[in-house]
Amino acid sequence: MMKRKSAILVLAMAAPAFVMTLAAENAAWAHGPVFSPGPETIWKGGTEVTVAAPYSRQSGPGAGRDVLEPSIEIEYGLTENWQIGIEAPYKFVDTSGADGGGMGDVVLDTKYQLWKKDLPGAQYKAAAFARLKLPTASDTGTPRLGSGSTDLAGGIAAGYESRRWYWFTSAAYSLNNKGGSGLEKGDRQFLNAVGGVRPILSEYGEPDTVFMLELNWERSDRDKLNGLSLANTGGSELFISPVFWWTYRQIAVKGGVQLPVMQDLNGTQPDNDYRGKLELVYHF
Amino acid sequence: MTAAGKALRILVLLALVAASTPAWAAKVYKIRVDGLACPFCAYGIEKKLMAVPGVKSLGISINKGIVTVTMRKGATLSRDTASRAVKNAGFTMRSFR
Repeated sequence: MMKRKSAILVLAMAAPAFVMTLAAENAAWAHGPVFSPGPETIWKGGTEVTVAAPYSRQSGPGAGRDVLEPSIEIEYGLTENWQIGIEAPYKFVDTSGADGGGMGDVVLDTKYQLWKKDLPGAQYKAAAFARLKLPTASDTGTPRLGSGSTDLAGGIAAGYESRRWYWFTSAAYSLNNKGGSGLEKGDRQFLNAVGGVRPILSEYGEPDTVFMLELNWERSDRDKLNGLSLANTGGSELFISPVFWWTYRQIAVKGGVQLPVMQDLNGTQPDNDYRGKLELVYHF
Repeated sequence: MTAAGKALRILVLLALVAASTPAWAAKVYKIRVDGLACPFCAYGIEKKLMAVPGVKSLGISINKGIVTVTMRKGATLSRDTASRAVKNAGFTMRSFR
């Protein structure tokens, strides 16, 4: 009965997030999913360092585009419920017309655990998070590496972790602003649902593996240039993403692939072929 | 008291001393922790408890939800200190003995 009440409470807390409609595609969130945020925070005084290598490929109408954006991210636990962090990426872009690379957009982030219920061998959690993207990437070169704008994203994540089973859900909204060159990327909305299983109940000090399946829905409003909507921008996409975690004590390797199952893009745009990500996480 | 009676008393006394834990022996505590679901997350407990003065070593059983703390000789661990360390690691202490 208690378990059911806890589950209902978590769902009730997560529900507003679904109504509000994060740009967390490059975020590493402690022991959470790979392509979406989770509710975990690092312990008080703990430091988490993540080296990530997200990669995406687009092809089809218009220009094809390959993007590799390796990053280093540092998170620090102010309390057991509250963490702050910074992410610094470097971006390589290869389009059919031009290629280039440079500093990506630096992101400052924070996450606060709103609620937690500890049970023997299990935890329910819910957290709110926010990310501030700074315009550190060049928005003038070809290809363009960033939007040149300072953008704010926020959302809510909830989840359940047990020895065997996992589930997470999250929703986020990215509020994008106009950059120096007059381009305003469209606001973005994200909804995610994740299920996972640990096939072998390994003990502390043993290698541990968890497999998960994420469903990631994204929607973008149309971009604007000097106030005018751009026809061939925006739309919605749904991805199915098999991912894994492998951990040993304070080391984790996480990775996965996002495969599009539905793309409803405005006008003529290249489709997402796939996105991949590999992360190495270390706790101090 | 007869010689046999004295010898019996001495034997009983020696047996009692041998069976009791001497004050200088290392104390061992068992902490039952709720929320322990994965080995990666449990590293925070190791960090927090190993930072407590006097803690010599610890063992974590995720499947049983039990953390066993062995102290250095003469050192003790209070319930409050253990509870705070577990809380700061992001978990809840259910019992301490």
